[in-house]
Amino acid sequence: MANHADARAVSGAHDTFPKLLALNAQRFGTRPATRHKDLGIWHSWTWSEVRDIVRHFALGLRALGLRRGDKVAIVGSNRPRLYWSMAAVQSWGGVPVPVYADSVADEMAYVLEHAEASIAVVEDQEQVDKLLSISDRLPKLTHIIYDEERGLRDYDHSRMHSFEQVQANGRAAAADPAQAKALDDEIAASKGSDLAIMLYTSGTTGRPKGVMLSNDNVIISARNGGLFDRLNENEETIAYLPLAWVGDNIFSYGQSYVLGFCVNCPESAATVVEDRREVGTSYAFAPPRVYENLLTQTMVRMEDAGPFKKKMFHYFLGVAKEWGEKILNKEPVPLVARLKYALGEVLVYGPLKNRFGLTSIRVGYTAGEAIGPEIFRFFRSLGINLKQLYGQTEASVYITAQPDGEIHADTVGKPNIDVEVKIDENGEVLYRSPGVFLGYYKDPEKTAETKTPDGWVRSGDAGFFDPKTGHLKIIDRAKDVGKLRSGALFAPKYVENKLKFYPNIKEAVAFGQDRDFATCFLNIDLTAVGSWAERNNVSYGSYQELAGHPEVIKTLTAHVDEVNRSLAGEPMMAGAQIRRFLILHKELDADDGELTRTQKVRRGFIGERYAPLVTALYDGSKRGHIRTEVTFEDGRKGVIEGDVAIVDMPLHGTADTFREAAE
Amino acid sequence: MTDATISAREAKPLPKWAVVTGSIVAVVIAIVLANAAGLMPKGTLLHGALIKPFVDMVDLPDLFVQTIWEGFVGGVLYALIALGFVLIFKASGVFNFAQGIMVVFAGLTLVGVYEKFASFGFTGMIAAYLAVVVALGVMFLLAVAVERVVLRPLVNQPDIILFMATFGLTYLLIGLGETIYGGSAKVMIADQLGLPKGAIDFDILGGRVTLQKLDIAAAVIAVAMIAVLAFFFQYTRIGRALRAVADSHKAALSVGISLNQIWIIVWFTAGIVALITGIMWGARSDVSFGLQTIALKALPVLILGGFTSVPGAIVGGLIIGIGEKIGEFYWGPLFGNGIESWLAYVIALAFLMFRPQGLFGDKIIERI
Amino acid sequence: MRAPSATDIAAGEVILAVENVSLGFGGVKALTDVSFDIRKGEVRAIIGPNGAGKTSMLNCINGFYHPTEGRITFKGKTRPKMRPHEAAAGGIARTFQNVALFKGMSTLDNIMAGRTLKMNRSFFWQILRHGPAMDEEIEHRKFVEEIIDFLEIQHIRKVPVGKLPYGLQKRVELGRALAMQPDVLLLDEPMAGMNLEEKEDMCRFILDVSNQYGTTIALIEHDMGVVMDLSDRVVVLEYGRKIADGTPDEVKRDQRVIDAYLGVAH
Repeated sequence: MANHADARAVSGAHDTFPKLLALNAQRFGTRPATRHKDLGIWHSWTWSEVRDIVRHFALGLRALGLRRGDKVAIVGSNRPRLYWSMAAVQSWGGVPVPVYADSVADEMAYVLEHAEASIAVVEDQEQVDKLLSISDRLPKLTHIIYDEERGLRDYDHSRMHSFEQVQANGRAAAADPAQAKALDDEIAASKGSDLAIMLYTSGTTGRPKGVMLSNDNVIISARNGGLFDRLNENEETIAYLPLAWVGDNIFSYGQSYVLGFCVNCPESAATVVEDRREVGTSYAFAPPRVYENLLTQTMVRMEDAGPFKKKMFHYFLGVAKEWGEKILNKEPVPLVARLKYALGEVLVYGPLKNRFGLTSIRVGYTAGEAIGPEIFRFFRSLGINLKQLYGQTEASVYITAQPDGEIHADTVGKPNIDVEVKIDENGEVLYRSPGVFLGYYKDPEKTAETKTPDGWVRSGDAGFFDPKTGHLKIIDRAKDVGKLRSGALFAPKYVENKLKFYPNIKEAVAFGQDRDFATCFLNIDLTAVGSWAERNNVSYGSYQELAGHPEVIKTLTAHVDEVNRSLAGEPMMAGAQIRRFLILHKELDADDGELTRTQKVRRGFIGERYAPLVTALYDGSKRGHIRTEVTFEDGRKGVIEGDVAIVDMPLHGTADTFREAAE
Repeated sequence: MTDATISAREAKPLPKWAVVTGSIVAVVIAIVLANAAGLMPKGTLLHGALIKPFVDMVDLPDLFVQTIWEGFVGGVLYALIALGFVLIFKASGVFNFAQGIMVVFAGLTLVGVYEKFASFGFTGMIAAYLAVVVALGVMFLLAVAVERVVLRPLVNQPDIILFMATFGLTYLLIGLGETIYGGSAKVMIADQLGLPKGAIDFDILGGRVTLQKLDIAAAVIAVAMIAVLAFFFQYTRIGRALRAVADSHKAALSVGISLNQIWIIVWFTAGIVALITGIMWGARSDVSFGLQTIALKALPVLILGGFTSVPGAIVGGLIIGIGEKIGEFYWGPLFGNGIESWLAYVIALAFLMFRPQGLFGDKIIERI
Repeated sequence: MRAPSATDIAAGEVILAVENVSLGFGGVKALTDVSFDIRKGEVRAIIGPNGAGKTSMLNCINGFYHPTEGRITFKGKTRPKMRPHEAAAGGIARTFQNVALFKGMSTLDNIMAGRTLKMNRSFFWQILRHGPAMDEEIEHRKFVEEIIDFLEIQHIRKVPVGKLPYGLQKRVELGRALAMQPDVLLLDEPMAGMNLEEKEDMCRFILDVSNQYGTTIALIEHDMGVVMDLSDRVVVLEYGRKIADGTPDEVKRDQRVIDAYLGVAH
């Protein structure tokens, strides 16, 4: 890996984001740095324009009292100005703290209070209202700056400013050589080892922790990631994942600055696919959920298509399934298959990729959690170079990734450049790299728990290196791989992923730790099941009603049975077959704390919240009753009550016993 | 891929398209086999119906091309007439029985006005085009009158009442036309309008195909007309208003679109289409009241294309036009010729069995 | 939260006055001698049990029906038989209980249709799609894009509205009404058939419209919570007659309203 050292050396002088910005304004001055679709039109800014805006905004921030080390909260969706704010804050050695925009007020209060943010740059009225509602808990917060003015005109503006105003103040200040020099001096004074950004991880348990990353952490990781995939300034990406997520910070900010490529901000969360198609992204990043949704929507739409189209679609998907991945991996493929695939490209894959906005994709990553192998293969078979990556906030994303041509649905790849990985005796994955975080903010205890004095970080995930491929495989969270009372292995996430492979199942939560057998909760996917209902004239008034429909239960029973059969085929997992399950009466929701902000299931919390249902799963009842409080978007509460049926499943013998029975 | 959705239907009957394709393939195979087996000797009816036409098409491709061309020109003109129907049907929900007579009336007006000019010694192209302008003016007045006298008083009446009203309009226009211009057939002022004469011959496929220049002009003008209308509908404010009215009267009213104004525009547009159709059709034969029966040809076109679809009118027109000519030329002798008068309806009926809403008709989707 | 205070409105100028309006269809009387007014800038709710004549009232105001007796004065002018497109030209926009959209047209075209009256009438330029008409088209498109942004419906810009779920259709319909830049906006049960989340969005949009553009709004609504939150004054109809008129609090305390609306026996 030493051969990459020279690439790092280039950066010696440009070890902070403001310095990189100056470099880009110089080397890529007239190339676009940021695009944003607003009111139906793409607007773009070149690197030199961005440098000026950032500089002016930085000077404006100074007038509001920003000093080295101050924390600035950034709240909102992927808007150019919020990204620019980060660089402006970093210009003075300040520390941006992006916060999940959909956090409820209480979560936001915790993060801002803990980070001691003195200024907040927010997107719009919604976020301003949220901050004002918790302002009594935030004595340190002195100024709020907003991007979008709508609805805010009549607010008290003594401590509130529009982005334009701050920028204009800074523009005026730029004329003063003393102030301009002060800024230049501060930019020059920052070092690579300084704290660059703080990202609060939502974490599956407990309060969020503030992960401190230095300039070096982010910049070197971003650069190594770029080298790994040979990325350059010509990439186009779309920024649509939460700003507070480390992935977005690396892909939409870090790598854009390091490599000089353009980041496109979509019009709204709902237009991402359309916007992506217009931009023609070459480099993409998404959690599995995004790919799952694309696939589900396609399948649902095809159900409504004409018979000929449907036939053609399925035929060519078959061709793609057989040959697509081989072609992508540059394996030898017979000529006839190549021709069929080429025809499919014209008739099916091309239009489909265009629909997904993935036509010009060169490198696409999925990460965050395990992707269903079928989903993964589907996209790859269309010729999309989708790869898996394993990363963490504490590592500035990169731990392992799949090199081109070495793609396996069930691995997460090889260690990235400059990353060392080892497995400890408990099966936990440990890593050490230039991206390894400085520590958790104001929490040396947790830092010491996670990071050893010699720089190794405990990932908290159990995994092993696959001897055949040399790739890392992740089983589950280390603490989540448990055992049934019988001693049989029970890896809940493994089972859940098998269940979630079915488009009708949106979410699954498995239980079984220290129990006699395994059980689970299921959530139906409203898109898939709702479309089925529409086609079959099944009328339903609510999610709850649809989830309880006998036909729906029947179908999901069949899915669970298939999963059980597949578990039975794996001797290690055969004991963890689902013996009883139920379909929840409401969708699991991050607003209710049931999912994390990155949409991961919070199993423990769900177990407590639905304790009566868990009890019912284990006491043999035929039905379970539950009353749950739900939180609406504005923070108001309501109650949903439900009576759900519990289904008993037959168990399958293990592979061996099955064979005996057959004889 | 696994099935993405719940499958509740256990056994599905074969889809209709599969049945259709299957039967066609089966019949074709049967015919070919039967022919090969010598079951259909030359001269028999079966041979004449199932074998000879196709053999002829392959043997004399030039004739086949010629037939298709003639069908195409006829089809384009059918499409124009159907377009007049569709416009009015979309915007006011009225099936305008008078569209055929409007063609005649517009043609007669044009010729009549020109004759009037000629009687003052004012002839030539300028006079001809001035007559066109006058004829357009008359069609506009007609549109205004229809809106005032027929549509406005009858608004919110059942469709059948409005349909009957257009019947009345038909006879009114016949009477009016005969009174003013006389009942005899007139010759279209094609030369004066600068429409080309003569023919172009092409030597292709080992034969000769003759294209009448007039037919070429008719096709070009009709295509241009259709393009202009399509553009007008899609991209202008009035086009948008027309589509809006066609979609929902209530909503159109609430945004301030005046139905009366739209009706005038639509009827006037139909009048313009009628005039152009009158010129083209008149130039190929002559302008007489007999011409109104071609409006009846628009009916199968509409059935085929769907009453509300502009592309449907065009494609429907072409299918009927070409189908009719091919049928007449290759199968006509079997029936003692003259099948042109009813073949169009048979074609339309055949399509109707598989797509009740027409080829391009609005698919009826109702959310329950 | 609301921009004009109650006292402002009490003193405010009357933009629309309904005086002794009756409406009959044959023998059936839909409205009997109803009078009330709507003041500039206020949110005025019309409530009442089913069949109380609320929608008939809106239909009279925007010219779908012509009152058999009484008169309606809008911006100082009384017109005996105002037709719908004249009402629209005068500055009255409305939405419908069951959504009346151009189902085959896209969201964008639907809202653009709301600009019909604002476009100048140069037919010739329009056909050429050139010169002034092109500039005009762009200018209107900008306006419409603002509305699309405001209502957060960018993702359905090009989707035919017939394919949209009901809640979004209602939003598009509101957008089309807003595109008319009306002086008075009539909303007929803007939240009917919506789930709680959609209702809250709709409430927010209505309040924003009122606050930001100062548009006068008259709305029919069944959800009493919504009515109490949104409106400045409420008029209550029952069997085609007015039984109460006042601020939400006054109306809520009115015994006749309690009897009529809640059907409480005493």
